[in-house]
Amino acid sequence: MRSLARHVPLIGVMAVLVGAALLQDPVLNDRAFRTATTIMLATSWNLMVSAGLISLGHAAFWGVGSYACLLGAAGLGLPVGAGLLLAMAVGAALGAVQALVTGRLRGAFFAICTLAMAEGLRVAALMLPGLTHGAEGLFAPQALRPTPHVLGVLGALLAVASVGFAFWLSGTRFHFAMAAMRSHEGAAQMIGIDPRRYRVAVVAMSAAMASLAGGVSAWYGGYLDPGVAFGLQTTITAQIAAILGGMFSVGGPVVGAIAVVAVGDATRGLLGGVQGASQGLFGLILVVTILFRPRGIGGLLRRARA
Amino acid sequence: MQFVGQVIADSLLLGGIYTLAAVGLSLSFGVTRIINFAHGEAVMLGAYGAFWALTLLHLDPLLALPFLMAAGTAAGYALFRLVISHLLDAPQENQILLTFGLALILQNLALYLWTGDQRATTPDYALNSFLIGGVVVSYGQLIAAAMALTLVGAVFVWLRRSELGRATRALAENRRAAVLVGINVPHLYALTFGISVAMGAAAGAVLSFILPITPFMGADILVKTFAIIVLGGFGNVAGATVGAFLLAFAETAVAYYVPEGNGWSEAVAFAVLFAVLIVRPGGILGQVVAE
Repeated sequence: MRSLARHVPLIGVMAVLVGAALLQDPVLNDRAFRTATTIMLATSWNLMVSAGLISLGHAAFWGVGSYACLLGAAGLGLPVGAGLLLAMAVGAALGAVQALVTGRLRGAFFAICTLAMAEGLRVAALMLPGLTHGAEGLFAPQALRPTPHVLGVLGALLAVASVGFAFWLSGTRFHFAMAAMRSHEGAAQMIGIDPRRYRVAVVAMSAAMASLAGGVSAWYGGYLDPGVAFGLQTTITAQIAAILGGMFSVGGPVVGAIAVVAVGDATRGLLGGVQGASQGLFGLILVVTILFRPRGIGGLLRRARA
Repeated sequence: MQFVGQVIADSLLLGGIYTLAAVGLSLSFGVTRIINFAHGEAVMLGAYGAFWALTLLHLDPLLALPFLMAAGTAAGYALFRLVISHLLDAPQENQILLTFGLALILQNLALYLWTGDQRATTPDYALNSFLIGGVVVSYGQLIAAAMALTLVGAVFVWLRRSELGRATRALAENRRAAVLVGINVPHLYALTFGISVAMGAAAGAVLSFILPITPFMGADILVKTFAIIVLGGFGNVAGATVGAFLLAFAETAVAYYVPEGNGWSEAVAFAVLFAVLIVRPGGILGQVVAE
């Protein structure tokens, strides 16, 4: 186990997040909630990329988590807690299916399958109004819905749990197995790692985390339609936050998520009337980061400290 | 079964255009080994180019096509030289994310410049059709498919016969050996990428009188071209052609025979992609996709 002292900044940041959610300030609460779900998404995305798997379809996991929560509540009367467990289970199952179907595919081939899966689910949600209410949308049952403040605190705690999970994972043999898979799956096999089993496990864990974020977010927003659930925006946010903060570390996605939410809010404030401004800017950030700072903000901070 | 003739005719016409889009993507991957996630945006920009050429200059999409292809080659060449070539030896993850980021920029630039309104080019021939043996054939689709297949044929001949085309194939086969025999690798990489963008733009120009043009049409097209390429095997022009016609046939059949099939046909590419990966991960012509 590495010394905890190195992680004081990260613990501090997470404490501030929970504090911001606890205060009685709706604007701050809202920002804290969006930051919390973005942290979960980015941490989830980072888990997969740490094993060399690029997901361009995190919206799929987010979306099934959202639908699991609201449909569970509307159809079965599931309260928030049970709904979130269901969301994680459904998400993990979808992740396992994705990992099994894509078999040994790597890189771009894997990435495009994830994109296709999210797109296919969006079409299915649209075309099956009997199940999902289709384009008309679905509202969260108000009787079961906690106040935004309670959901905000819940979101922050779930973000802490997700980061804690990623931190714990980074100290296990899992972490090294993933690093080996990222470099060379064949070599990983030779040192006694079964890439197939690890891959299913990584994708299922990552998917469960993203579904959890989608589920709590669906309760918070109170409304769902196929575009909201499976929108490309979710996927983009997940990867930009992880890349901007720095991939392959625990703290990177957290830093990146905070930056992404701040940048998003700033562009909305400054260029609110300009269509596509924030997504276009995210694209630019992505390109510039990959070209010039592939280790992200986290890499810069690490170099400054060294 | 009803409509069999119509389904076959429609899928042949659609397949021609799909071939053009897919062969472009397959070509640049085969040579540079970088998968261009912004290929759908080349199609989108080609379609907008055709739309503006018609609206502002009263230039028919088919007459605008050579200009759009020239512009596409130049833009693709420059983009590769200035941006993408820096990541030739970078991890594949970075290459994917870079081209995906470029796609995002282009989509939102188009949204900003031209709004999200759906557009279409409407040359006279696009609105007319003729009846042959009980099958309705639209002139627009027929012309689009013929144009697309002609271009694919031209690229095929170029790859087989011309000095540059042969150098390109040598490069695809073995980069180090290509350097040894004096092939200008950076130039040829960028040129191949430019030609691939031009083929995308051409596909967009002929699609402009068949499909609605929107800033986000590229994402759909990207998934379709990938499904085609996975069907046919990567880096294989003949395979891509077979894959394109198979996908077109599957989509058209779903649109005609499945209740509410028009909506479901959008998900066919996804289903095909997953089905092929489960049943035959090497693609139907047996090339291995996994590394």
